[in-house]
Amino acid sequence: MSILPTSVAGATAIRAIAVTKRYGKLTALDSLDLAVPDGSIYLLAGQNGAGKSTALRHILHLEEPDAGTITVLGYDILRDAARARAEVGYVADGELSPYGWLRVGALIAHHASYFPTWDAAYAARLIAELQIDLTPRVRTLSRGQARRVAFVLALAHRPKLLLLDEPTDGLDPVVRERVLHLLAGHAAEWPTTMLVSTHLVQEVERLADHVGIIKQGRLIGQMPRDYLRGTLNRFRFVAAESWRVPNEAPVVVVERSESGHEQEWTIWGEPGVVREIFDGPDVDLRSVTPLTLTDAVVALLSIEEAA
Amino acid sequence: MALIAIDSADPRPIYVQIVDEVRRAVVVGSLKPNEPIPSVRQLASELGVNPNTVKQAYQELERLGVTYVERGNGTYVAAGRSIRDERVSLATAVAERALRDATRNGLAVEELIDALERVAQRNGRRRKP
Repeated sequence: MSILPTSVAGATAIRAIAVTKRYGKLTALDSLDLAVPDGSIYLLAGQNGAGKSTALRHILHLEEPDAGTITVLGYDILRDAARARAEVGYVADGELSPYGWLRVGALIAHHASYFPTWDAAYAARLIAELQIDLTPRVRTLSRGQARRVAFVLALAHRPKLLLLDEPTDGLDPVVRERVLHLLAGHAAEWPTTMLVSTHLVQEVERLADHVGIIKQGRLIGQMPRDYLRGTLNRFRFVAAESWRVPNEAPVVVVERSESGHEQEWTIWGEPGVVREIFDGPDVDLRSVTPLTLTDAVVALLSIEEAA
Repeated sequence: MALIAIDSADPRPIYVQIVDEVRRAVVVGSLKPNEPIPSVRQLASELGVNPNTVKQAYQELERLGVTYVERGNGTYVAAGRSIRDERVSLATAVAERALRDATRNGLAVEELIDALERVAQRNGRRRKP
């Protein structure tokens, strides 16, 4: 039983319930629940091998789950995958296309023909901004070049939902920055839900408004970014060395360190409860600092272990 | 120098940084009364931040009376507000940050004020405009 919140209020673009997938003896998804709110930019975080990419492939029904249900934009993905996919853009963590002999321009044209909502002017703008050369054959592209083409394919039909699997992998810092700004502009221009899976959390620090943590194929928690800001903080204070958080207080001390006479603790707990702890006479609170998204993800993973 | 700059390492939430940056731009005069501020889309893509965060900041600015919205036409810097009031409230925010930092370092208010005076003397005090 997780102590982190897992329920999400309101309408969802993606809802997965108890999705399980086994490969032989390996359980890749272990009764995974996922609720991605409509219009959110949702970071799916977790260590390598935790099941992030597998989860994304199931959301598009590129793989058959052993158990569970998945609803995407209102469609039951096991029955209506084709209709759902028409409204989804996907940047996969892998091969750009099986048609390696095609030239990039032809691949884009081929892809466009499947989408009635394809926006040729927007595609041209993306091609220019990402400095994509249309002449080379797809199989000769580097990882970073392929990733840039994948963005055009995923964005230019203005999908309602974007699935981005390690979207900045292989991109140089300049292009990476450009891509993140493109995504922000895209979300502002057209209402889009984005599910971003990455281990480079700091890159989506400014974008993500929801975060879900996946560990060994299970979702151990999901919550709005603003909620995290209230419940997970670093406290600097002065107190006797023997000072401890009262045992009965429903909080988790994630990390403890001290410098000189000052203590610095990272604590998870409802704001009111934590404030009460530091109201006592034998402790002098100096500062409260929210964690960066990167530090928060690491902390959430360790809270689960502590619980 | 960008009109509005934010820093991911800053502990202030991004929407607060945007609010503070717009207020700063008004005080220093790089944004003038009745001038438009960037659209949500422009600023989101320029800063690479979630558009909802920009919306949240713009709502806060409107609530504070720093800006006003013309329906379908964008957001503008409010005119009625005196620059003096804005300067006072900006100075208050700077003082709050400095005081927080001092407290964190175990310093008393008096020590901070003394140090401010001393440093200002040494650097040649900036005259009130």
